[in-house]
Amino acid sequence: MGKARKPIQIVILFLIVLLGGYAISSSVFGGDGKPQEGGKAPNFELLGLDGATHTLEEFRGKSVVLNFWGSWCAPCVKEMPALQAQWEKWKDQGVVVLGVNVGEDQMTVDNFVKLVDIDFPVVMDKGRDAVRSYGVSPLPTTFFINTKGRVDSIHIGQLDLNSLDEQIGKLVGP
Amino acid sequence: MSKHEPLISNTKCECGHQNPVGTVLCEACGKPLDEKEENASGNLEMRYDGVARRSQRVSPGVIDKVWNFFSSVKIAIYLIVLTLLGAMLGTIFPQESTFLNIDASTYYEQTYGTAGNIYYRLGLSHTYESWWFVTLLVMIGASLVICSLDRVLPLYKALTRQKIRKHRQFLTRQKLTLNTEVEGEPEEWVARIVQPLKKKGYRVRTEGGALLAEKHRFSRWGPYVIHIGLIIFLLAVLARGLPGLNMDQHLAFPQGETVKIPDTSMYLKNEKFTVEFYSEEEMPEEFRGKKVLPKLYETKAVLYECTADCSDPSKEPQLAEVARHDIQVNSPLSYQGMKAYQFDYDLTPVLRSVQPDLVNASTGESYGKFRLDMKNPQRSFKAGPYTLELKEKYMDFGLNEEGRPVSTSPYPNAPAFLFLIRGPDLPAEGQQYFYFPKQVDKERFQQEAINDKLGGGTRFLELEVGSMTDVDFSESTTYLNIRVDRAMPFVWIGAAIVMLGLILGFYWQHRRIWLIVEGGQLVLGGHTNKNWFGFRRELVSILEQVDMTVDDKSLDNGGGMA
Repeated sequence: MGKARKPIQIVILFLIVLLGGYAISSSVFGGDGKPQEGGKAPNFELLGLDGATHTLEEFRGKSVVLNFWGSWCAPCVKEMPALQAQWEKWKDQGVVVLGVNVGEDQMTVDNFVKLVDIDFPVVMDKGRDAVRSYGVSPLPTTFFINTKGRVDSIHIGQLDLNSLDEQIGKLVGP
Repeated sequence: MSKHEPLISNTKCECGHQNPVGTVLCEACGKPLDEKEENASGNLEMRYDGVARRSQRVSPGVIDKVWNFFSSVKIAIYLIVLTLLGAMLGTIFPQESTFLNIDASTYYEQTYGTAGNIYYRLGLSHTYESWWFVTLLVMIGASLVICSLDRVLPLYKALTRQKIRKHRQFLTRQKLTLNTEVEGEPEEWVARIVQPLKKKGYRVRTEGGALLAEKHRFSRWGPYVIHIGLIIFLLAVLARGLPGLNMDQHLAFPQGETVKIPDTSMYLKNEKFTVEFYSEEEMPEEFRGKKVLPKLYETKAVLYECTADCSDPSKEPQLAEVARHDIQVNSPLSYQGMKAYQFDYDLTPVLRSVQPDLVNASTGESYGKFRLDMKNPQRSFKAGPYTLELKEKYMDFGLNEEGRPVSTSPYPNAPAFLFLIRGPDLPAEGQQYFYFPKQVDKERFQQEAINDKLGGGTRFLELEVGSMTDVDFSESTTYLNIRVDRAMPFVWIGAAIVMLGLILGFYWQHRRIWLIVEGGQLVLGGHTNKNWFGFRRELVSILEQVDMTVDDKSLDNGGGMA
């Protein structure tokens, strides 16, 4: 019995540390499961305006500027030209500007894209699945996702057009 | 534990048994080992039968120190008290989790003033999810496991390896003891008392003139059974955090629409929502004219499971009906552990589609109807010789800062459509036509004036809705609370085991009687863990059957707690 004692103690303490660590860390970091800066960007599977299904996974290795917008949201409309300009500037350097329309139908999105004259890829989140998994509440919200699929920074509200270029530059790296 | 053990201490009993350090009473014969204890006259320390607990043993390393910390009942009590105090803090103001849609950063200050703000800033608005509260729970869990193991194994060993013949001092210093003269051969006398003991449910073992009778030993495991139950309970609560085991969401289901339940492959359709109120006659007099009391909330719900094309957004999912239920308060729809409870409702009608008629305003001629959906409408329609191309769509019509038409929200509150109509008697490039399906919007946004401006003087076409049968709207929206709690059965199992442990520990007592007959002298000792009074009475009645009359008070060796 004396010989078995130490290993048993170690196994039990190890299990307690494991389970306890899980419980405590999920209360500290887990929170509501929304992505945090530095955390992993959740994947999504959404229908693009081009008729094909797009996922975040397929942009792995590229920096992604993920912009949630709606045609009814005035600041979203205002930042569109800036996003388009950045898309044109950076698209050859492994940066993808990806617009996620929140809950509108194809026609509205089509018309809007034509109206504001953007050609970066746009996907439609009809069921608001990505909105939920990204924990987006006010629009616009922009996630800057690095090449490793981690959220570098989150911008809630209209983008600061002066620092946008710099922010993308930081994402791409020196 | 604070006592310093001598560096080398002789733990070998005079009966020849080698005891571990920390042993109070010899594991074999029960003789007190400590000099002080041996020379004292009070009752013996019978906890865990005087066996050394694991944590009392020598040479604490790091692991031993951690082990010893958690094995202390004193620490466990401190932890429980701290947890209770912490839990009390969480009851001062409502927790964040009890609200559906609040901005916690402003809610507490607005509702409860500065105190509320401090409460929120201290993180007490989510006390039970905070790291320190979870840490306390984890420590209690660790304490439960280690305290149990630290005691249950030595106790188990002590009870299974009991010697029948005990040291004389072990018997005379029990709380229940008897020392008297008997006649006859020791073996004979012992044999006579076996039967009465067995009748009372004792298991009896004899060894010459020595006897050990014992009953209801299982009640000693009660506390450990309780601990197992509590550990299962805690683990089940912990497991609720794992994906798929727990879900609690509130969703809106407009009447007639099939809505996906997020994070599942389920879809739920609200076929009809009904709310009924008590009529004036049904209500007691004092309520009449003053109160509106609901009688019934009911959602006729159909649950579908997706069978194919579930995650591909470019395809429509294939749905198969799996359950159907009329959800009322306290009568949820239930399917494979998922429950849908009635939660709220909204009686604002939502426009879904209209079937306008293209008519010639001057002649009254009708060219035909088409169906115009608010969401995902077709892009072009035919009505008689005319084609209508849908150019723009606004769900909630308004004008932006620059005076251009925009949609101010994604909800069809004030839908508006811009058509380009081509056909006979119209300009070759077509004629633009703005259409507001809702009568109020027609007037509010002056549809006619807009169209006169767009079409110039030659305008003669109008879109009109003939009757209400051409209008399709969702009358109401029901809100359901969708819940999954797969850890719940384990919470119940844990609670049931705790109950079992409590019953074991409360309703039975472990009773033991040792006796030695030697040279015409009977020495008897008895021990139980509670209800000494009942134990003494039982012993008196047993002794009566071997023609020995004893006053039950004379058996008491002092020490109280009778």
